[in-house]
Order: sequence, then structure tokens, then C-alpha cells
Amino acid sequence: MFPAPVIEVAELVKHYRAGDGSVVQAVNGISLSVAAGEMVGLLGANGAGKTTTLRMLATLLRPTAGTARVAGCDIRTDPVGVRRQLGYVSATTGVPDRLSPREIFTSFGLLHGIDADRLPERVASLLEQLDLGTCADRPAGRLSSGQRQRVSLGRALVHGPPALVLDEPTNALDVVGSRDLLRLLGTLRAEGRAIMLSTHRLHEIETRCDRFVIVHGGMVVATGTRDELVGRLLDGRPGDLEDAFFAAIGGVREGGAL
Amino acid sequence: MSHKASSPARFHAALAIARRDLLEFMRDHRTLVVTLLLPMVTYPILALATALGLRTASEEIDARTAPAEIRLGLSGADAPRFAAILQRTLADTAASARIGWPADVVIGSVEATEAPSLLERGEIDAWIDAAPGLAADLAASGTVELPVRMAIGNRAGHLIREQFETFMRSVARDLTRQRIGEAGLPATVLNPLALTFPDEVAPPPAQNVISTLAGGVLVLLTVLTLTGAFYPAIDAIAGEKERGTIETLLIAPCSLAQLVFGKFLAVFAITLATLAVNVVSITATAAVCMRFLPQGIVAHVPGETVLLAAGVTLVAYGGMAAVAAATCLAVTTASKSGKEAQNTLTPVILLVSAVAGTAMLPGMRSDGVLAALPFAGQVAVARSALGAGDIPPADTPSVAIGLAISLISSAVLTWLLLRLTALTLADEDVLFRGPDVAGPALARPGPRRLPTVIQGLLPIVAGLAGLWYAQGFAPDDLVRAIPLQQLGAVVMPLAAMLWWQRVDRRAAFSLAWPRGPRQSLLALVGAALVGSGMFVLGAAALLAVRGADISPEAQALSGRLLALMRTQPWWVAWGLMALMPAVCEELLFRGWALAAFLGDDPAPRRRMWAVAAQATGFAVFHLLPERMPQTFAMGLVLGAIVVATRSLLPAIVCHLAHNSMPLVILAWAGGPAALDLAAGGASPGALLPPEALLGAAAAVALGAMLLALSVHSRLPEGSR
Repeated sequence: MFPAPVIEVAELVKHYRAGDGSVVQAVNGISLSVAAGEMVGLLGANGAGKTTTLRMLATLLRPTAGTARVAGCDIRTDPVGVRRQLGYVSATTGVPDRLSPREIFTSFGLLHGIDADRLPERVASLLEQLDLGTCADRPAGRLSSGQRQRVSLGRALVHGPPALVLDEPTNALDVVGSRDLLRLLGTLRAEGRAIMLSTHRLHEIETRCDRFVIVHGGMVVATGTRDELVGRLLDGRPGDLEDAFFAAIGGVREGGAL
Repeated sequence: MSHKASSPARFHAALAIARRDLLEFMRDHRTLVVTLLLPMVTYPILALATALGLRTASEEIDARTAPAEIRLGLSGADAPRFAAILQRTLADTAASARIGWPADVVIGSVEATEAPSLLERGEIDAWIDAAPGLAADLAASGTVELPVRMAIGNRAGHLIREQFETFMRSVARDLTRQRIGEAGLPATVLNPLALTFPDEVAPPPAQNVISTLAGGVLVLLTVLTLTGAFYPAIDAIAGEKERGTIETLLIAPCSLAQLVFGKFLAVFAITLATLAVNVVSITATAAVCMRFLPQGIVAHVPGETVLLAAGVTLVAYGGMAAVAAATCLAVTTASKSGKEAQNTLTPVILLVSAVAGTAMLPGMRSDGVLAALPFAGQVAVARSALGAGDIPPADTPSVAIGLAISLISSAVLTWLLLRLTALTLADEDVLFRGPDVAGPALARPGPRRLPTVIQGLLPIVAGLAGLWYAQGFAPDDLVRAIPLQQLGAVVMPLAAMLWWQRVDRRAAFSLAWPRGPRQSLLALVGAALVGSGMFVLGAAALLAVRGADISPEAQALSGRLLALMRTQPWWVAWGLMALMPAVCEELLFRGWALAAFLGDDPAPRRRMWAVAAQATGFAVFHLLPERMPQTFAMGLVLGAIVVATRSLLPAIVCHLAHNSMPLVILAWAGGPAALDLAAGGASPGALLPPEALLGAAAAVALGAMLLALSVHSRLPEGSR
């Protein structure tokens, strides 16, 4: 059993108005939760509503209806509070090329109001934790993709948030880079952080996430542990998470939510 | 592990963002080149070219005005006597009277047959054949025709001829004196009038080369200062979007206004640094330039004038640097890549150059409205401080007033532009729009419900351009001019946009009745009352503020309107003055533009901005500055009516009632004051009677009440 949820999403809805005036229902009533020390995988095909959900959670988009809370702060009424409690890693690496990892961590630390006297110590410990000590003062533009992704993660962690949201963090990484990053996320989970990440590379997270939420057409179509999903969606047939995922979104295609 | 972040102070986040951005900018080679290298190279090159050009020109002028030695060949029997006459003039003419005089006239005797070849070979400059009796004829009372042959092909031929003519005019004057003396008349007969001016008049202000060049340098300084903001502004938001780093900043624990302010501080710092480097380069270049320029071209500029000018320029341009930074940020915020931002910003730089150049126009005073005009105001103020503008340098209070106006305007404009940047950045569509927005330049966009903000602006800009170009050939006769103006400046741009953009016409023009029939009636009557009352109140305000101080253009328009009302049948005048503008202008401003600025489901603040923006366009559209406050207020009222009633019809009725008032006043009141009021002009000292004002105020109040009733009253069941 996990303790009380750190991330709570309740009936979140996001509608866009397209150029021709028609309404696009990107997210249509998603509800989920992530507890402290839990890592949840958000799965879905392109356009399923994953990124929109994560962006609403990170207060980058305003929800059309519903709401979400991060460590007790509501995304509608207290967006600044949410940003203090949340570390967000976008689908792009989001690292400025001309700054070094140390400068990036320092600037975001200052932005989060960390005391200037304590900041160098905090930055040094983060560089060590993320294994960036050897390239701490090199411009980020000269770092490898794996190093840049770790810088991005470090930037999201500099203020020590209890919740972490990552949008396709292993997208640009090779096998080694992905493994290292996911191990690092495992460590952060063990520290008690609530982690939610979206990805298309299901095999990478199959054994690492505690639970999965499968979204399709802006709605949650299935949720549970790996074994629960496989057992429920494949009706006892042998298979893995990917098979369960296809069964979930195929089920919708054939006749509604499971 | 959790670090408990202390709550950042109000400016703490902005400073942290500024610090981060500055670090990035300083590592961008383009920024360093534009900030440091460009000013250091531009001014010396321009100065060197200018100085060398002036020096060459000065040397040419010197060569052309230098006294020349003229070799004069005389032939003929009377040559010795004629030579004696010439020598006498040469000897008698005082040095002070020898303006344009040759250095010397060397007179020699030549044979008439050889003289042409001597001229051709350049051995003599001029030849005169002194025929027998010439000296006697000169002493008599007639006029002697004396052909002078000059050497042709001589580079200084024109100069020699001018100086020889000057000399020969002196010879003629001496001969005149001789004739008068021989006739027994006093020499004063030639000077019937001797003018004296006992009062000293101050000489005109010295316009030296530096003053003339100052304006050009100040315009260049404007452009280069703006260029300093170019790359940092592109990098600050569009560059962040391109690199995918903007999202990480937007989830920082600060407001959007603080984020934009932080970005502004960084861009402003670089722009200020660019300004400082430019000023240093100008100063150093000017000092070097003085050595190159020939003596006499550069008049002495007092030290205190230089100090005042430098101080005023720095302060005024500091304000301009803020506007430049905010402008570049506002323009590039909607762009999603550095390249797109660059393409958007480049025309703005060109436009600013043109605006800055307007300060150089004759008659532009820096202590009035011009000082508030961004980019041009600062040039005008700095020119005045240098004594190169319309205000003499000693008039320090006027310079101070201009500087104060310029700074206040810069602060207000910077704030507005930063607000616009924050609003643009808050727009999710702008922030996360995909690559589908880009497309072929002439591709017709897909159908959409409402026009975009840019599409809302386009017909207004096209209409203004149409109005400007039409001035040259628009007929004076209003019967033809008004339909042509409405057609060219309103209907055609709007029709073109409507066809091109394929919007939902009912939504774009708010073409709907205001709810139920009772509500419609209330709204239309209320709008008519507001419109008629607003006309009288607007005219009263104009009279109170401007009195008889109306521009010739406004007076001419008043006269033409009056002539239209008096010479044409009432229905023609009403159709042209009221019906046509009310329908056309409402479709453009309260229909198309307001719908574009409002967008779908606007927040209250956006409604406010949208109404103000279309009212500004409406005011500018009426061109005459003294009428702009009145038209702006009317634009606000009309916009508010459309927003409240969600229908264009009450706005058309309100506009119609407003523009019909001149005819109503003319028909009911008559008399010269009423004529002035009807035509929107003013007689000196004319004021409206208090009862008219009270009546107008009551009409506006009652109309507003009816409009409010129409909006808030409950609809009968089943009427929706």
C-alpha cells in the first residue's frame, strides 16, 4: 500500500478550438493519482492526450474542466504553489546550450528562491548524484544526449520537489542512456518522490513502474499494475505489457472502454 | 530529500531570469558583434568618408574661388589708351572693394591676327580689340559695345571670366564717375539713398556641418540601438521556444509578468550596453574627425552645449533603449523559432528607421507631441539639445519639457509592450502551435470562425494606407469623395479580407438581433440616445479644450461639410454623412476588428483591451489629431455596446444617430453657432448653451440605462 497521493488528477478535461472553429477534445475526463514513493507510467498512442495531461499538471495549460492537485496545491487556484512542488521534464531536453550544468542548476535554484549561500552545496550534490561532475562546467551544447537528459532531470530536481513528471524522458536516448536514467528514477522513487512518466517504449518501463495508466482518445481506458493489466486485458493469454496495451486501445476501437 | 525553497521576493525571480539570460546572451557571438563591433566600425567608416568628402569639396570650393591672374591681350590702334584706363582702375580701387577681384590683371599688347591662336594655346586669358576711337567713345555719353574673347578649354575659364567681369564692372563705374564729373554733377548723384540700420539684429544661429550631421548620426544611433536588442530579444523567447527551453521557464514559481520582466531586463541591459558603446564610438570618432575636417567648416560648439547634448541624448536614448527592448520582445514573442522571429523583426527595424527620420522634417518641435512619439521623439529632443532642431540650445526649459515627455512616453509604452508580451505568451495557441501554421505565402487559409488578431488589423492598415494615398487625387467635392473614401478605405479592404479568410460572417460581424424583440427595441432606442448625446458632448469638449485653435485641415473639412449640408438635399447629405459611414465603419471596426481582437470566449481583461484597440484604430482612421480624443471615446462607447449586446445593430444605430446630429442641429437651430457645431468647427469664443449640454448628458444617461435594461432584462419564456 502506498501512502496518500502526492499527485491527484480529477476529471481533467482539455478542449481546444481548432482554426476552423471546431472543438478538439484532447483530454476528456482523465482521473489518476500517484502516491509518494510510487512511479506510474502514462501510456498512450500519439494524440492520446498524454502530453496535454502532463502540461496541465505542470500548469503550462489551463484545464477546460476538472482539476489536479500536487502536494495539496491546486493547479487552478495555486499554480505557483504547484510549480514549487513539482519537477517537470519536457519531451524536448529543455537545456540551454550555452550554459554549463552548474550554471543551469544555479540559475534554476535562484529562480526557486534557494538561499544563495546554500545553493553551491546543493548544486554540487546534484552534480554528483547525476554523475555530471566531470562535465559540470562544460556548455550543455557539447554534452551527450544522455548527459543532457540528466541535466534536464537535475534542473527539475534542484528545488527538491516531492513530485516529478517526465514527458517521454528516454525518447532521445540509446539503450545505455535509457537504462541509466530509469535507474536514477528508481533511486528518486526510493527517496520517496511521486513520479509519473509517459513513454512509447513500453519494454523499458515494464518492470520499473509500480502502476500504469493507459489513455486513449483523451480518456483513461485501463489502469493497474503490469500483472493486473496483462491478466485482465489478455484474458489469461500469455503476453506482456505491450500486448495488454494494444488490447486496451483496440478494445476501445471495437466497442468502448474496458 | 526536500529543499524548502524560500518564497522569492517580487523581483527576485525576474532578476534570476535576467541573470541567466544575460549569461546566455554574452556567449552568443552575434550579440557581441552587434553590441561591440558594429558601432566601433560603423561610425569611423562613415566619419572618414564624410570627412574626406567634405575636405575634397572644401578644396574644390577654395580652388574655384581663389583669385586668379588674368592675362589680357589688347590689340588695335587705341590699345595703349584703353590700357591706361584699365591700369587707372587697377590702381585706384581700394583693397576692401575687391570682392571677387582677380589676383592681378597683366595687360599686354598683341596683334589682332595672332590673338586667336594665343587664346587657343592658353598664352592669354582674354583678348579685346581696341578699335580706333574707343577711348574717345568711352569718354563720351554713349554705350560702347566691347566684345571680349575668352580662352576656351581652360579649367578655370569660368572663374577667370567671373573675376574679369567684376574687374570690368569697376572700370565701367570709374568711367561713369568721370562722365558725371565732366558734366558738372556731384558724385553723389549716383547714390540717391544711403540706408542705415541703428538697431542690431542677432545673427541667425550658426548652422555648421556638425549640426547638420547630428541629425543623421542620431537617426543612425536609433537604428543601431534597436539593433542591439535584435538578437537578444529573438533569443529570449523565440529562441527558447526553438530550443525547447521555454517550458522549463514557464513552470518556474513566478508569474508570467515577472518572467517577461526578467527577460526584458536582460535584453534592456544589452541594449543599454549597445547604446553606451555607440556613444563612446561617436564621441571618439567626432574627436578624430575634427582633425580631418578643414578649418572653418566646423563652427565652435560651446562646451556646455556639448555636455548638455550628451547628457540629454543619453537619458532620452536610455528611454528609447527600453522601448526598443520591449518592442523587439513583443514582436518576436509570437514566433516559434529564431528564423521566424528574425523575419518578423527585420521589417520593424526598417519601419523604426523611417519613424526616426520623421524627426528630421522641418517644423518638427521636440517639446510637443513629437517628443512622445517613440524613436522620433528621442531624436528630436537630442537634436534640440545640440541646437540643431527647432528649439535654440539656450532654451533649456523647452529641452527639459521634451525630455520629460519623451521619458514618460517611453515608460508607458514599455509597460504596454511588456503587458502585450505577457498576454501573447499566455496564449496557449501561440505557445504550443504546431508547424502547420507556416505555409506558402499566398496559400488561402482554411475556413475559421473568427479572424485572427493580425487579420483584424490588416483591413485597418490597408484602409489607412488607402486614405493616405487617396489624398493626392481624391475629389474636393464631398458628394463624390465620401463614397470613394468609404469604398476604397473600408469596403474594399474588408471585402478582400472576407473573401480571402473565409470566416463565419455572422460571428465575425456580430450580425444578430440583441435577444428578444423588447430587448432589441430597448437596445436600439438606447443606442440612438447615446449616439446623439455623445455628439453634443464631444463637440462641447472640443470647444472647451481647443476653442478656436483648430487646424486649417479641420477648418477646411468643416467648411466642406457645411457646404454639403447646405447645397445638397437633406437625404443626400444624410446618406453621405451618416448612413454610409455608420454602416461601413461599424462593419470594419465593431464588426471585423472587434471580433478578431476579442477571439473566442474572451476574459474580461481581453474584452477591455479589444475594445480599446479597435477604438484606437477608429480614432487614427479619422486622421485629424484634434478629433482623435472624440472619435476614440466614441469608439469605446460603440465597442462596449457591441460587447454588451452581442450585436452590431445597436452600434450602427448609435453611430447613425451621432452622425445625423449635424443635420438635426442645422434644421432646428440654424444660426452661426449652430452652423459651426453642425460642421464640427468652432468660432472664436463659441460655447454651447448649458441646456444643450444638460440635454445631451441626460440623453446619454437614459440611453445607457435602456441599453443596460436590454442586456439584463429577463427574456420571455420560449423566446430564445
